[in-house]
Amino acid sequence: MKALSTDETVQELHRLFAEEVEAAIRYLHLASAVRGVERLFVEPKLREGFHETIQHAEVIARKIRELGSVPQLNLSISLPGESVGAREALETALTFEEAALEAYQDMLRRVEGDVALEEFIRSQIATESEHVGELKQLLAD
Amino acid sequence: MQTWKEFDQNVVTHSAAHHLMAIDDLLHRLGYARVSDIARQLNITRGSVSISLQPLKKAQLVLQDENRHLRLSEQGQALVDAIKTKRLVVQRLLAELFAVPVQQAEIDACKLEHLISNDTARQMISLLRFLDARPQAVAEFLAAWRALDPSCGHEPAECPTCETTCMASKVAE
Repeated sequence: MKALSTDETVQELHRLFAEEVEAAIRYLHLASAVRGVERLFVEPKLREGFHETIQHAEVIARKIRELGSVPQLNLSISLPGESVGAREALETALTFEEAALEAYQDMLRRVEGDVALEEFIRSQIATESEHVGELKQLLAD
Repeated sequence: MQTWKEFDQNVVTHSAAHHLMAIDDLLHRLGYARVSDIARQLNITRGSVSISLQPLKKAQLVLQDENRHLRLSEQGQALVDAIKTKRLVVQRLLAELFAVPVQQAEIDACKLEHLISNDTARQMISLLRFLDARPQAVAEFLAAWRALDPSCGHEPAECPTCETTCMASKVAE
């Protein structure tokens, strides 16, 4: 596969940045919308997800700045003002976490050869995989 | 159920219609459709696409194989075909009959395409067929209509259409 130019890399990082920021917003919304007795357990998990995802977004933003660009964000998101059950909230979180993980996996294939970026993406994949694994476990229990 | 509530119950929301159309378009152009392709086409995140696809998968309109490639079920394809047809029909009627500028006609058709019933669409197609089959009659009708339209003086008492208030003034430019 042809190596990405710096501009293309930045474009890809902008997409990842959007994935992370949007995921953080979704976590925040889910944490506020979750209802039912299991809320006591699930809400802190969702808030934890929010904080971790925002941190990921910051890491990506730093990477974009290192490449000489300013992070750019183009989101289109509308979240319903309806309560959500604990299981549904976790399933939703799993859906967007898996999407983010796939985005990093795709990016890894595209940056082959760029050792620094490869390492960075690998570490993100490891963290995202942990999130996905934890959510799957919660849903299986 | 009250009609307005049906909009919320409809699995094919405006966003869902765009996801279905994007899958159809990608399948035609590339031969495959993945979440990442839809995200790029619609300029939204993969997370957003994945979440939007959930109800469509649940409704069996979209199917996903083990390689995570997406395709439309027979029902999904029929829905896309109907939406595309309705878009075209509304677009043509707005532009050709109502003289709405082409760009605005496209925008309005995009907003309506997934909301119009098949019964209504069939009647619209019938009207289109009339427009195409009887150009002379249509030209006369349009000329008579255009001649009347400027005569609206916003006076309900003198208007054969409005009762107590002027409808045209409610949808002013």
